[in-house]
Amino acid sequence: MAIEVKNLIKVYDERRVIDDVSFKVRDSETLAVVGFSGSGKSTILKLICGLVEQDSGDIIKSDGDIAMVFQYSALFDSLNVADNISFALHERRDLRKKYTEKQIRNIVAEKLEMVGLKGIENKFPSELSGGMQKRVSFARAIVTGPNSILYDEPTSGLDPISSTLIEDYIVRLKDETRAASIVVTHQMSTIERTADRVIMLYDGKIVFEGTPREMLAKNNEYTKQFVTASLEGPMHMLA
Amino acid sequence: MITLKQYYRQSATYKILRGMLRQFGSFLDTLGKITRNGIETAKYIFHGQIRWNEVIEQCRRFGISSLPITLSIVSMTTIIVSSQVANEMVKQGGGSFVGMLLTILIVRELGVIMSGFAIISMIGSSLASEIATMRVTEQIDAIEVLKVNPIQYLFVPRVLSGIIMMPVVLIIASVVGVLAGAVSSNLASGLSYISYFDSMWLGIYMKDLFVSILKAVCFGGTIALISCSCGYYASGGAKGVGQATTKAVVWSFVAIVIWDMFFAIAFFF
Repeated sequence: MAIEVKNLIKVYDERRVIDDVSFKVRDSETLAVVGFSGSGKSTILKLICGLVEQDSGDIIKSDGDIAMVFQYSALFDSLNVADNISFALHERRDLRKKYTEKQIRNIVAEKLEMVGLKGIENKFPSELSGGMQKRVSFARAIVTGPNSILYDEPTSGLDPISSTLIEDYIVRLKDETRAASIVVTHQMSTIERTADRVIMLYDGKIVFEGTPREMLAKNNEYTKQFVTASLEGPMHMLA
Repeated sequence: MITLKQYYRQSATYKILRGMLRQFGSFLDTLGKITRNGIETAKYIFHGQIRWNEVIEQCRRFGISSLPITLSIVSMTTIIVSSQVANEMVKQGGGSFVGMLLTILIVRELGVIMSGFAIISMIGSSLASEIATMRVTEQIDAIEVLKVNPIQYLFVPRVLSGIIMMPVVLIIASVVGVLAGAVSSNLASGLSYISYFDSMWLGIYMKDLFVSILKAVCFGGTIALISCSCGYYASGGAKGVGQATTKAVVWSFVAIVIWDMFFAIAFFF
């Protein structure tokens, strides 16, 4: 098991944004986490990668790195693409002495090729489109060979073709790295094309767990409302 | 029926007191965070975990970028003071002490405090907004996820460059300030350059130079530390960046005045 979350609770301003959530993700499996804005999806990712501490519950992670692809890429705007990708290799104490500069250059070129962006090493993030920035952030995430990759709304703000491209890379990265992946998304296409399993959150709780096909079958009141984008149903916009 | 407690809670006194308590709590919270970051930064510096390329880059920013505005402020302040003082002192027969007076003023106070103010407005605000922008655009989260310590990566080079460059800026600004005082005194009161430069050594001792440089070291480190810390805890998008920058400037101003008072009490009482 790559990631196991048990009875997780996180409270912000006296409100449980994550309320007794438990799930598991196996190696080379992709779990999609869906739900309304403010339902606690991104908080789950932040809890898993240690950016936020839980109030109670356990997060069990297998040894190795966890990488995260942020919603707005979060590339370092003062560094060029090559330095963004090689950031951990240059700055992490355990990796700094492991590679020579030449090896790092080769790794950067290889990762860029993997995300279809060969030869843009010297460009700065501001010179790239949103889709390209996202792909560079993929390359940065996988540079340390993580065994889990977390994606926070990887296709938000992108056109449908760029979204398809990103979804393809998510699948490809999973196949090539055998990493466990958690994808937080609103997009049905991302769920259908990338996920092996889906959990749906509402008001901090899991209200559905199953495969994308089961989700689309609309047997559950919550998924039915989500899939049909209906205002009628058990879910209401959270304050 | 409204209880006494409910009535009290609705009163203006309660709201004012609560607001004041909240402000005080926020003040203590900020102070605690700055102190904690300062301790962690010092730990990295003493352990020699320093990225010197980045320190040099930050020194360039701290020193060279801030120098024009610092020199302008220090020399203009000296011109204002000397044009007021020199005339009167020459009239009263104290012309031979104008150089001494202005040099003491510049070396002990004016040079360092004006350089501090210039650096806060030029560099402190820029450090705070840079790091706050990194925070709200999740770049600092990315640094943490990549298992790099943000304090070591962001704070150490900036604080160290403040410690190194502030004394350099102070020395240059003080020299320029003294020269500006000489020219201004000459133009305002006809005081000769020989008289000015002869007297400028009369009131200055090694202790003054030492205290002034020590002050600059403390000011530089404090400005960088406060600015980085205020940026580091920013939240809430563009508004948060603005608030962090304002906070950094206000806290830095207050901090260097407190430092200045501490030095005055410790060395000149």
